[in-house]
Amino acid sequence: MPKPPTNAQIFMQGLWSDNPVLRQVLGICSTLAVTNLLINTLVMDAGLIFTVTMSSLTVSLLRKYTPMRIRMMAQTLIIASYVIIVDISIKAHLPDISEALGPYVGLIITNCIVMGRCEAFARNNPPWPSFLDGLAMSIGYSLVLLTIAVIREPLGFGTMFGFRVMPGGFTPWTVMIMAPGAFFTLGILVWILRAYFPQTAGEKKS
Amino acid sequence: MKKRLFSVVYMFVLTLVFTSIVSAVKVFNEEKIRTNQRVKLERIILKVLDIPVKEKTSDEALGRIYARRVKGVEVRDKPLYVGYAEDGRTIVGYAFPIGGSGFWGPIYGMVAVDPEAATILGIAFYRHSETPGLGARITEDWFTRQFQGLPLHPIEGDKKIFYLKPEGTGKARDELDAVTGATGTSRAVEAFVNRELDHFLRDLWGSVKKG
Amino acid sequence: MIKIDAGTLFFAAIFTNNILLTNFLGLCPFLAISREVRSSLGLGVAVVFVMTCTAVINYLVYYYLLLPLNLEHFRYIVFIVIIAAFVQLVEMTVERFFPALYYILGIFLPLITVNCAILGASLFLIIREYTLIQSLAYGAGSGIGWMVAIIAVGAIREKVQKSAKLPRGLEGPALTLIITGIMALAFMAFSGMIQIQ
Repeated sequence: MPKPPTNAQIFMQGLWSDNPVLRQVLGICSTLAVTNLLINTLVMDAGLIFTVTMSSLTVSLLRKYTPMRIRMMAQTLIIASYVIIVDISIKAHLPDISEALGPYVGLIITNCIVMGRCEAFARNNPPWPSFLDGLAMSIGYSLVLLTIAVIREPLGFGTMFGFRVMPGGFTPWTVMIMAPGAFFTLGILVWILRAYFPQTAGEKKS
Repeated sequence: MKKRLFSVVYMFVLTLVFTSIVSAVKVFNEEKIRTNQRVKLERIILKVLDIPVKEKTSDEALGRIYARRVKGVEVRDKPLYVGYAEDGRTIVGYAFPIGGSGFWGPIYGMVAVDPEAATILGIAFYRHSETPGLGARITEDWFTRQFQGLPLHPIEGDKKIFYLKPEGTGKARDELDAVTGATGTSRAVEAFVNRELDHFLRDLWGSVKKG
Repeated sequence: MIKIDAGTLFFAAIFTNNILLTNFLGLCPFLAISREVRSSLGLGVAVVFVMTCTAVINYLVYYYLLLPLNLEHFRYIVFIVIIAAFVQLVEMTVERFFPALYYILGIFLPLITVNCAILGASLFLIIREYTLIQSLAYGAGSGIGWMVAIIAVGAIREKVQKSAKLPRGLEGPALTLIITGIMALAFMAFSGMIQIQ
């Protein structure tokens, strides 16, 4: 049994070496859609970070009491509740962004990362490391999405956070606003990462 | 058996706890959400009626302007917003909500006409599911401004109130620029806005004139 | 409110508004499974069935239960529970009455519950205010669209990985994503064919 990772190691793992999107290529479904605008991505990421960390924390706190058989149901309930809280909060305080994000906030529930961290880590580990693991994974995930958005919004709209950054004569690459642009951007990012920073013993798929 | 019972009770208690938390959050934010929706509607109505409102106006200030200048009434069970001049008595226009299917989902908007229903004062779209950067551009100023001053007439036969043509090719007053690259959305908007305007002129205007 | 006829909606959900290629939903199992055309087909059929049924069930539950009781903010929980329960039911039925089928599909069924596309379809039909018939058409069409996408990309990927010599790092998810991007571009061409209105 290898030495359990220190808290610092857990954090770095989530952020880089085991980055959920780039290494495990998980959980891109729900959030890739909003990466054509930086502000939307930021809000979505905040919602995801809140959900993953709180869910991991809660699942970990309850891990000694939750019967084995119903743990999936319990996890789903916990995750869904936090997502609803996020959805209501965004609707109340950022109504325009809530309109733009549409149903994608609700889809955080099915985001493989949330459930993945609960299953893989939180239900077997104490609260504080679980919290860190959730935090690290979700921040790592968010950074990748922001990177994609940093590529998509300037090329597709000519702006960053709504402020013009491309020179006036620039014709926007409309494809970047739409689905194919997201696929290509992420695909190329994963490719570059895997080509220049390969993992040693194959890709970890925890 | 005991294990089973514990599982059931556990789930029940967990559900109770979490649904209570969620309900509490909802109730706590309900007021704010309703206010947001009301303010958004008021802002749109003021905008289409061409009543100037500075961007940075607070919600309360907006509410005051709205209360002074607009009166909401019902005509044949449909909402109508009457806009008044500063003096509070001269009518400057009528605004009414419109809606129809866009390319991806329903589009909701607001249209204002002048006191004789002869031209359009303004139009705005406030809810849609169109593609950002393409169909969603119908909310942009350049698109909605084209409608200002558009002459209105009930649709007779093939003659629509306006047509959306490829950008830059429109020649007549009733030929407006569509959104380049968003043919589906443009066609949808042309269809339902014409329909709603025609409906207003034919069915509701008579009742409005009477008061 | 929407005046699209169900037939057009059905075809649009497969081609122009493909839930995977335009709405990004259902990618996770897609990236993991699409290696073999045969398993993609199995998973696809299961998804079509679950998506169509849950779209209808969730429609009924939303409009006849949640809305009247003013509980629509609980729809996320309710929908996912219904989806999970339905998948469980399907799994048990298939295991009991079609054991041969169960051997092929067995492992996929639990995967379907967390397929974002299933929950997504239910959420979209609420936002777009579809009627019951439209929801049925949309659910079925989305499912088939997902299946078509996953099989198409899987088939291409199978071919490419067998015959081409790929640059370092491209193998696996990166390649799948790029192929998916090209497929998404290709499907955009269908929008000239289908007109919704």
